[in-house]
Amino acid sequence: MNDSRRPGDRVVITGLGAVSGWGWDAAALWRGLSSGMTAVGTELRFSTEGQRTHVAAEAPEEPAGLADAFAGWSRLSRADRFAVSAAREALAQADLEVSGADTGLFFGTSTAGIAEGEEYFLRLLGRSPGSPRLQFLASHEMNGPGDAVARCFEVAGPVRSVSSACAAAALAVGDALHALRAGEVRRALAGGSDSLCLLTYSGFNSLRAVDEAPCRPFRADREGLNLGEGAGVLVLERLDDALGRGARPLAELLGAGASCDAHHMTAPHPEGEGAAQAMLAALADAGLAPDQVDFVNAHGTGTPLNDSAEAKALHTVFGDRARALPLTSTKGSVGHLLGSSGAIEAVVTALCLETAEVHPTPGGGEADPALGVDLVHGSARRLAHGAGRQLVAVSTSFAFGGSNAALVLGSWPGDGSS
Amino acid sequence: MSTAPRVVVSGLGQVSAAGLGREAMAAALVAAQPEPVEVDLSASYHLEGGARRALLARSESEIARWVPPMEARRFSRPSKLAVAAARMALDDAGLAADALAGPTAIVVATTFGPSEFTERILGQILADGPQGASPFLFTQSVANAPAAQMAMVLGARGPNVTVTQREAGPLIALGRAVAEVASGRARAAVVAAVEEHSSLLHAVLNRFSALAGSEGDDDVARPFDRRRSGFVFAEGATALILEREDEVRARGRRPLAACGLAVGAFDPAAPRTGWSRDPAVLAGVLEARLLAAGLSPDDIDFVVSGASGAVAGDRLEGALLRRLWPGGPPPVFAPKGCLGEYGGGLLGPAVLAASGETLGPTAGFAEPDPEVGVVPHSGGPLEPPRRILATGLAAGGAAAWMVLEAPEP
Repeated sequence: MNDSRRPGDRVVITGLGAVSGWGWDAAALWRGLSSGMTAVGTELRFSTEGQRTHVAAEAPEEPAGLADAFAGWSRLSRADRFAVSAAREALAQADLEVSGADTGLFFGTSTAGIAEGEEYFLRLLGRSPGSPRLQFLASHEMNGPGDAVARCFEVAGPVRSVSSACAAAALAVGDALHALRAGEVRRALAGGSDSLCLLTYSGFNSLRAVDEAPCRPFRADREGLNLGEGAGVLVLERLDDALGRGARPLAELLGAGASCDAHHMTAPHPEGEGAAQAMLAALADAGLAPDQVDFVNAHGTGTPLNDSAEAKALHTVFGDRARALPLTSTKGSVGHLLGSSGAIEAVVTALCLETAEVHPTPGGGEADPALGVDLVHGSARRLAHGAGRQLVAVSTSFAFGGSNAALVLGSWPGDGSS
Repeated sequence: MSTAPRVVVSGLGQVSAAGLGREAMAAALVAAQPEPVEVDLSASYHLEGGARRALLARSESEIARWVPPMEARRFSRPSKLAVAAARMALDDAGLAADALAGPTAIVVATTFGPSEFTERILGQILADGPQGASPFLFTQSVANAPAAQMAMVLGARGPNVTVTQREAGPLIALGRAVAEVASGRARAAVVAAVEEHSSLLHAVLNRFSALAGSEGDDDVARPFDRRRSGFVFAEGATALILEREDEVRARGRRPLAACGLAVGAFDPAAPRTGWSRDPAVLAGVLEARLLAAGLSPDDIDFVVSGASGAVAGDRLEGALLRRLWPGGPPPVFAPKGCLGEYGGGLLGPAVLAASGETLGPTAGFAEPDPEVGVVPHSGGPLEPPRRILATGLAAGGAAAWMVLEAPEP
């Protein structure tokens, strides 16, 4: 059990930041999630003419003042801006300066500044007004969002970007946890960022993986995912450091695990073998047993295959208890943020633990009976702290190529006291 | 006291302009005669002038020995190269094709991913509308497709991670793979660096004046040289097998290299697509981490540098080496002068150096640059190094280093 670890081995979350279809901060995200509504809509930045579907959860216009807060803001890609904004919010909540070599930056993305790279070529070919500017291509590389955050907040420790499709950010958060435990860094900014673009939208449509209507994770009539965009950032610290400076932990990051299906480029293993393996690895890393978990923030895309495989994985890990274990899908509300989804879902999981409430999953009523899961829907589900017991949650992320990642988070204080 | 098992490199596979396999890479590095070839610059987006040559993996029939055409048709170019390199590495390690099935980690570094497929999809969308996008190209265009394909062909079900941190990526990937094995989260690991050459990338790098020859001079990589003007774009893949040393010894094999300290740092003052002038931030982190590990720069007796001929990158590398070794660094070798700019051009030679291979001279170097202040090793005989520092300084500010040690006999 994690309580036996030395304080220096325990890692807590002291700041959260998010950008999503609900807005440019975590409060807006939480309000949206709590409403049980979806941020998916039809007003999009780019044309969906000729596409099979016409909906997504785009982030709204950026708030005034951000551009003035950071030098060089105009040269940042949309994904960079999401990342920097979320990091700024998380650091403000943590009340922490991170400049220097004791801080590491661990970031995940699927496509980073591809929207700007795409715009460069559209302009080059005369398909979009304006002249092609090289700075659009400078945004294209997948280290862009992580580097932008490191540059803005003067991080001088290790900076590591991961692009493992939809598991990227969860893998990055896990990397941060292990770097903190190993003493490689004392503080970490961990998260991910992705923006929508024509190519991504067209690609998912070509796979017929996208629903024209708001997605319905785990429902019997689910037909596919919705794309979203945004970022999530967590400030992570070693427990002794956080307490030593008088910080208030929001939640504890207890464990991380990863696996690979080694099965298919797009389809999950039908029995969810790799997904279950990642969850079990994360629980082992946390020193916890499956029966100590209070709820699961699912990958939950809303595609028939993913939700089926994930439900089977939950049954493998939790046995019959999977039928009564509260389950929620953040993607039902903000869409699939691709490489950054694991980050925003870790943020949401921490918020659920902090409030002891599991947010509802939009998209209808009861779950598909064939899946045998206890989907939280309609309204939030209150979690009961047992006396002296830490609430524990698992957050899952599964990617193209079969890369799976799971995180285990716990409420704070760890003994359930107020 | 650490009880983590020692992690070693037990096999090396590679495909590049130097040919296929460990011996081919070692021979090419000694010969120091890179053979870049003319590339197709007929697409409309190419500007007049600029670099016209690149170092390409040309031995298609030999590659087909490792990835038969029927299998290769499902792969992007980077996936094909990565799978070929991984199978060669397994063979080099004396392992059967299915020996790593199970909890093996795959950690791959790439800067651009399968960019040619990305270009083709965008072309389809522009030419035929969104519904012209090929689902096959889309799924194979993601950055982690090579890592996924490696996992599928090897049956590797451990953590599967794709690192995208430019020139620092390969050493970050190596560090992460070492951590996965040392912690027991994976039984073994395959770490790889892979890049493809594409016409579009070539055009983009020319526009950024990143390539040797971008400004109309000759397109030759000259690491540390006064006349350097950029790097030579290369494609290829290098894969390493990482295992616990006791497991490698138990099957009667001598490791190629032992993995030591991994260090990462970032210089926030670096421009987005370039390098700082001042090495103070990066050098400070590296020195502190060496010290914390009970090492000093004097414990390093060979440097395998990521210097590629990039004007500002090599200048920073030189300044950093001079800062670490005010009296002059130990012998320095920059393999990208021969192999060109791709991650495997650093990863492979670093392991070769630790394994006792004679390396050098640095191809392309002739005239010292006072501003750089580093004269790479001439290629003459050296005492086999005991401890090697591999360096990777990325444009944009990231840096990674790895200490590799010569294995016990």
